[in-house]
Amino acid sequence: MEEGGARMGLKDVLPGGGTSSVTGGMFGDGSPTFLTSKIDWIINWSRRNSLWPMPFGTACCAIEMMASAASNYDLARFGMERMSFSPRQADVLICAGRVPYKLAPVLRRIWDQMPQPKWCVSMGACASSGGVFDVYSMVQGIDTIIPVDVYVPGCPPRPEGLIYGLMMIQEKIREESLSRHFEHRAEDPSSVARPHANDAQVVGLTGPFGNSTQQEELSNKEPGAREEFPEELLP
Amino acid sequence: MLDETKTGLDAVEGGPQLSEKSTDSSGGKMDDPDGHPSVIALFSQFGDAVSGHRVFAGTQHVVWIDSARNLEILSWLREQQDHQYDMISDITAVDYGAGRPIEVVYQLFSTVHKRALRVRCKLPLDGLEIDSIVELWSAANWLEREVYDLFGVTFRKHPDLRRILMPHDYEEGHPLRKDFPLRGRFSRAEQTRRALDQSVEHSYIAEEMDLGRDPQQATPIIGTKDRDE
Repeated sequence: MEEGGARMGLKDVLPGGGTSSVTGGMFGDGSPTFLTSKIDWIINWSRRNSLWPMPFGTACCAIEMMASAASNYDLARFGMERMSFSPRQADVLICAGRVPYKLAPVLRRIWDQMPQPKWCVSMGACASSGGVFDVYSMVQGIDTIIPVDVYVPGCPPRPEGLIYGLMMIQEKIREESLSRHFEHRAEDPSSVARPHANDAQVVGLTGPFGNSTQQEELSNKEPGAREEFPEELLP
Repeated sequence: MLDETKTGLDAVEGGPQLSEKSTDSSGGKMDDPDGHPSVIALFSQFGDAVSGHRVFAGTQHVVWIDSARNLEILSWLREQQDHQYDMISDITAVDYGAGRPIEVVYQLFSTVHKRALRVRCKLPLDGLEIDSIVELWSAANWLEREVYDLFGVTFRKHPDLRRILMPHDYEEGHPLRKDFPLRGRFSRAEQTRRALDQSVEHSYIAEEMDLGRDPQQATPIIGTKDRDE
């Protein structure tokens, strides 16, 4: 470490009396120092109290999301002062509602357009797991498309639920540290516009949850087999 | 033994019941066409091409017509002074499964005479083709695209027969057919990969992309982002 550098006087004194040979500078790898921990506190405080959500509302969950932003629940109390309708100026992606496969590349592109640091809330059953829509057209959980930080259960969740989920994001930010910035914000550049999960993970995440397809498999029936339809039920 | 007098929740143990007793398919059964002048006129004008008539829910008259003459009959219904079905409320289709023909349904309404009529055409599964009626009602354009997308019915002479709801490069078939598996033909992993491979811009033709722009500045879409290029 250079004499007169920014970390002069902040050398980590080892038990043996020597000094560590930490390289990488103030914000690089290595244990957080006094200075970085204080900067962490300030930066995390400002980040978590000025989160701008990017609303990606596609269904009834979006109605609850609007209700949480309205005066009765007032998300602005927590620093979500402004719903940012452009991804470039957003910090939190709130995916509220079901996402069909045709919309998947749009969701992925919006996530790719958001600058770091960014977080994602999956709001409601459909965004988190596909919900009751275990069909050919529906993404079975947006965590197959983009990384998700907080899942809010419910169908739809009440505004309290969404606010609690966003407060969990704030708690997550509180634990972050600049010295581990690249670890927290790690995202493979080659994963842009690619599924977040690999094939095995997608199959594991999207397995049937007791729906009719599974029942057909359990009864050894070929899925999608033509069924005899009683003639008298025809018009 | 089912008690015939039980109704509503009391009859649940009896299982699903038919709301209407129907004894026959559309083929030969004729309800009384009285009360609907268009049905009477259809029978007198196109006697051999009209194969059935039923009344549903009290007032909804349904006629089955020959699918080869749908353009002629619907055009007659639209143009005749006494009928003037100037609005196409809906075009849809029904797959009854078990190899039965798919039925294309035209829901007509006359704003002049305040009268509704439902016209159905049966199409065998190996001959899913019918004449397009876009030249009669331009509103039929997207409705026929929807039927084509979800049932695979080809509309002859349709000006722009493309998929409308499913992605443009969807290769799993036509989802509302009875032989289509509920969760699609490909694995979820394959579906996810294909979904993210689609280029959003390619779902629209250049004219559609220009709809939301200033006509003065409308330019053809060139060099839009495509990851693989």
